[in-house]
Amino acid sequence: MKIKDAEIISLMQNPRTQEKGVRALMDAYQSRLYWHIRRIIVDGDLAQDTLQETFIKAYQNFHQFKNDSQLYTWLYRIATNEALQQVNKMKKMQKSDEDPEYYMQNLVADNTAKDAEEIQILLQSAIQSLPEKQKLVFMMRYYDDLPYEEISKIVDMSVGTLKTNYHYAKQKIEEYIKENYER
Amino acid sequence: MKEFDIEKLERKNIYTVPDHLFENIQERVMNDVKANKKAPIFKLNWMYAVAASLALIFGVTFVLNSDNSRGKENSQGTFAMNNQEPKTESELAYETLKSDLTSIENNNQSIENKDDNKNYYVQDNGEEKTKAQTVKPVSKHNEAQMNEYLESFTNSEIAELASNSTQDVYLDLYN
Repeated sequence: MKIKDAEIISLMQNPRTQEKGVRALMDAYQSRLYWHIRRIIVDGDLAQDTLQETFIKAYQNFHQFKNDSQLYTWLYRIATNEALQQVNKMKKMQKSDEDPEYYMQNLVADNTAKDAEEIQILLQSAIQSLPEKQKLVFMMRYYDDLPYEEISKIVDMSVGTLKTNYHYAKQKIEEYIKENYER
Repeated sequence: MKEFDIEKLERKNIYTVPDHLFENIQERVMNDVKANKKAPIFKLNWMYAVAASLALIFGVTFVLNSDNSRGKENSQGTFAMNNQEPKTESELAYETLKSDLTSIENNNQSIENKDDNKNYYVQDNGEEKTKAQTVKPVSKHNEAQMNEYLESFTNSEIAELASNSTQDVYLDLYN
């Protein structure tokens, strides 16, 4: 992964090979970034638009990328910001009398595959009930298995705070599933 | 459910995904990248912007000042021209008549220098002045020819010719 990142960076930094670099960047990270965005936004079409915007911003601002951080950390930071902006827009557009948490849980129900397990649906609903920071930390740690040090660079929080947030997030999710699981 | 540990759960993506999702995203991103390459974005340096603005201000000021000085010169010239006393109506009429007569002269038409052929003009103070018209004397030979020619016409023919001729407005007015 490290060598591949170095190749992508080298391609992106040369104006002649930049297009090839963008393609390599997308091939390497599109799936991970898509699912990260999708878990935050839930809506499929908006997640697609947000991923596209993430890659365009990465291409336009590649001169700001510093080699002292990992490429995926930088990309996750852009994707997270874009996704949170999109969620804020969605919340502004929703009906004023509707609870945002309830709105996101309904969105989960509408977007899940027919063959999805109930416990997995409950897990996604439980994640949407979390406060924003806890939600981000939990998703990056639980699904992407990112080290706390890298998450710290993405969300600008200390490692200690992240560990605490993850602990509370996990506790809340387990309680939510225990309360709502019917089997 | 009494005991539950989410760490033991399988990590699954449960959301539905449209077909050719990543192909579509890649195509749209590449289109945008190519469009951005065709139309490069020029980043404006503040120093250059300030320098350009100053140059524009000085340029406009210089042009306006040069126009003003030219305007002054022009206005002085105009004043000098206008400084001449305005011509009276009678002077203008005289000049017009004079130019008409000059044009007649140029057409080789001769007029006998008689006392009657004096041009009159009136000055502002109402004093009437006569100005001798410097015209060439008509030769006797030409006069005799003209008389012969006129005598060849009958009275009715002369009357007809007179009725067909147009009157000179200036002569009509000032004679």
